Amino acid sequence: MLTNKSTFLLLLPLTAIVAVFFLYPLGLIVFNSVNDGDWTLRGYEALFQSRLIAKVLQNTFEISVGATLISLALGYPIAMHLARQTPKWRAFYMILVMLPFWTSILVKSFALAIILGENGLINNFLGLFFGPDFFIPMMFNRVGVFVGMVNYLLPFMILPILTSLMAQDPALRKAAEIMGAGPARIFLSITLPQSLTGIMAGVLMNLVLSLGMYITPALLGGRKDVMMANLIDFYTRKTLDWQLASAIAVSLLVISIILAAFLQRSRSRGAAL
Amino acid sequence: MSDKLTPGGLARLYRLSGGSVAIVGYLFLILPSIVVIPISFGGHGELTFPPRTFSWDLYTDFFTDPAWWGTAVQSLKVAALTTALAVILAAPASYALVRGNFPGKQTLSLILLSPILIPLIVLGLGLYLQFAALGIVGSTLSLVLAHVVLVTPFVIVSISSGLRHIDPTLERAAMIMGAGHATIFFRVVFPQIRASIAVGALFAFLISFDEVIVAYFISGADTMTLPVKMFSAIRWEISPVIAAVSTLLTALSLVFCVVIMFLQKQDNGSSQ
Repeated sequence: MLTNKSTFLLLLPLTAIVAVFFLYPLGLIVFNSVNDGDWTLRGYEALFQSRLIAKVLQNTFEISVGATLISLALGYPIAMHLARQTPKWRAFYMILVMLPFWTSILVKSFALAIILGENGLINNFLGLFFGPDFFIPMMFNRVGVFVGMVNYLLPFMILPILTSLMAQDPALRKAAEIMGAGPARIFLSITLPQSLTGIMAGVLMNLVLSLGMYITPALLGGRKDVMMANLIDFYTRKTLDWQLASAIAVSLLVISIILAAFLQRSRSRGAAL
Repeated sequence: MSDKLTPGGLARLYRLSGGSVAIVGYLFLILPSIVVIPISFGGHGELTFPPRTFSWDLYTDFFTDPAWWGTAVQSLKVAALTTALAVILAAPASYALVRGNFPGKQTLSLILLSPILIPLIVLGLGLYLQFAALGIVGSTLSLVLAHVVLVTPFVIVSISSGLRHIDPTLERAAMIMGAGHATIFFRVVFPQIRASIAVGALFAFLISFDEVIVAYFISGADTMTLPVKMFSAIRWEISPVIAAVSTLLTALSLVFCVVIMFLQKQDNGSSQ
């Protein structure tokens, strides 16, 4: 029904914009990472040799995996809780998940600074019991980064898991119950295996998002919690070493594309089931 | 029925423990959005919780200080232009992707959707290099075009799902009866996918309005957006005005969130 010509015309404007303001800049990074006037691999050599960069890569990996696992541990029970509500209550609880999802990460980071800071909500409360000088450092360190990241990541974990839980046939659980299976058995042999696609999608999404995380480590982390994105910013704006910044960005891009490809595969497999 | 069907002690305990983890999770999710509200009415001075006095001072500051209000106006401008442009570009593209059949369709739709999964910092750097080479870092237009790229995947997803839910035979019937492309779109397709377009537009507006990383890389002193101003304010000054801005942004998100949920529900209802 659509002629080739009209299909082409409908797609052309957007494709042109995406080519110029998305594909071209990404290509520019790849080019910059191997060329600073001359062709060179200095940027990538630094990736493997600089101790600072090695440390930052390690941070990025530790924080991303850690935050994703915490988000899974907290997100799964939330998704299960949502799945067994009546539609009316689910709509209510969904707002508690969707409002933070749509709230600016800056608002959340600022609020967490108020909650976790030295004179923050939690430490003021603890001060009532342990004296005014007592405080637990929860800002500008790993704790702050994890709290901020998990807070940001949770909705992206909950939503795909909820989708896979809602797709399950409740009759299956009922049948297992009638045949005498306990709740742990039902969970382990029915609910959990059938929600694996949701878990995979949530975990991959969380990893993609956290590997590129910039705001949370910048606002809630300390010097030891610098991640790849912060290092890209540092080399771009502070030392003006665009080549090194580009080399780090290319590595981040490649890792993200690989994870995204897995995500795409797990999604299409989920749809086929 | 036997006792086995009613949840036994163990089952109840299991459900209760899962449920309490969930409640803690909801609190953890929602607490940051709520905690800023009382503080925003606390007035100047130290950020304390709960505040000792009630005042509108921080809101007055926000709306009268050009350093704050000016950036808010800039953000509104960027978000409005981004939304309009994104819908105008994404609606025809979505139609072609859903109804059309051409070689390379999968690849093209993958490319058009991929900005969702690329770290913003990478795109920010790329655009920074691009605009620096052209000497146009900091123009409003460049920021709008960058945001269009970022938000169109969400608009495409929303409009495409609307298109998949409507019956294409109506369009075919209109064509057989001699309607032109424009008539078919505005009289047949558009009325059926209004809600999906609205959802896509709301996504686009809110994402652009809240976007900080790309804006931080490519906006200049004159074109600074509210999130960029907020980011540097949280980082360097911890000005109490941030609490008022945060409360306003949370209220905005709440309105958008409820409207989007309502529209999506309506959409599902009408298509079933």
